[in-house]
Amino acid sequence: MVKKKRILYPVFFMVVLTAVFTFVLAFINASSIDLIKAQEALQIQKSILYVFNIPFESQDLSIQKTFDEHVTTQTLNERTYYVYKLDQELQGYAFQFSGRGLWGTITGNIAISPEFDTILGINFISHSETPGLGGRIDESWFKEQFRNMSIKTEPPVIFKPAEGGSADAVTGATLTSNSVRDMVNQFVTDLKSIEKEVNLNE
Amino acid sequence: MNELKRVFKEGMIKDNPVFRQILGICSSLAVTNLLLNSLVMGIGLMFVTGFSSFTVSLLRQQTPKHIRMMVQTLIISAYVIILDIFLKAYWPSMSKALGPYVGLIITNCIIMGRCEAFAQKNKPLISFFDGFTMGLGYTIVLLFIAFFRELLGFGSLFGVQILGEGWVKWTLMIMPPGAFFMLGIVIWITRNVFPNNDEKGGAQV
Repeated sequence: MVKKKRILYPVFFMVVLTAVFTFVLAFINASSIDLIKAQEALQIQKSILYVFNIPFESQDLSIQKTFDEHVTTQTLNERTYYVYKLDQELQGYAFQFSGRGLWGTITGNIAISPEFDTILGINFISHSETPGLGGRIDESWFKEQFRNMSIKTEPPVIFKPAEGGSADAVTGATLTSNSVRDMVNQFVTDLKSIEKEVNLNE
Repeated sequence: MNELKRVFKEGMIKDNPVFRQILGICSSLAVTNLLLNSLVMGIGLMFVTGFSSFTVSLLRQQTPKHIRMMVQTLIISAYVIILDIFLKAYWPSMSKALGPYVGLIITNCIIMGRCEAFAQKNKPLISFFDGFTMGLGYTIVLLFIAFFRELLGFGSLFGVQILGEGWVKWTLMIMPPGAFFMLGIVIWITRNVFPNNDEKGGAQV
């Protein structure tokens, strides 16, 4: 048994142990970072396919292939966006949006029709909302409400049962729902201001 | 062999972390709305508890007593990070579904409880087994709760639709209150099925 009175020994012990574990974790992290990056890229491709409502099979290779077939990536003023064409015909644009949720940043993708009058779909990539409450914005019933939602009227997203309501909020998660609503409304408004530039870029 | 049996019985029933020690409740409430989430969470916890206990026990002769908590936390977090990286790299959808709860395994009292109560005083292999069984005890309870929550809440088991289209989903079961009800029922039943002998002779409640 180690003598308890020694002062340097615990410090030495802790330093060595921390160094060993840090080294092991750093090694594991370094050896898996490429794989994780690839998985994240795949997540974004999946999200883009989802917001455009392009059917895809869930195998990794098939996602990549479907994505490359239909979608091209463009940049405008350092903003990346995605263009979906089917048989040379323009189907829509997808953008990344982000905003403040209840607990942290919510990031997602939104797809807009070429005329900028309809939301084609919406998806959330990352958020830190309460699981089971605000976290339910990930559920498909919530996201599917935004499919083909008209954005001609201002603001586009109004929660029922208010007049002109276009979507249901998540029960028990008012603050998260409101954040999403404001985020989407704000983004759509901003989007209309860059409509011309995007269309010119084609 | 007898010791293995004793440890196994304690982890599963006598000292079951969830319904006997009332530990790890936070995650039992959070991830049990789907069977698959519960299973992965349980396996993750088995891995972390087992290896943490093993490592703590391995270092128990060298660890100065007064900094042992710090050492345990360090060891536990290292294994949790490994698990987190593993899920992110090989099972991103599960990593997303479990969200913050993977990282929160660090704060799961079961692990530190076993390191303190068992691994400090026992040899590495039996400590590993103890941690593993405690994780298994936790997993079984989680699966039990998730079975009812998913079946009643979604009408499915492991994502496979069991109850027909006509089934009215009990939304309550997949929301947080459903977890409280189920956990309460589980603790109530198990307390009656496996009465604790130690409590006899104590103050009557």
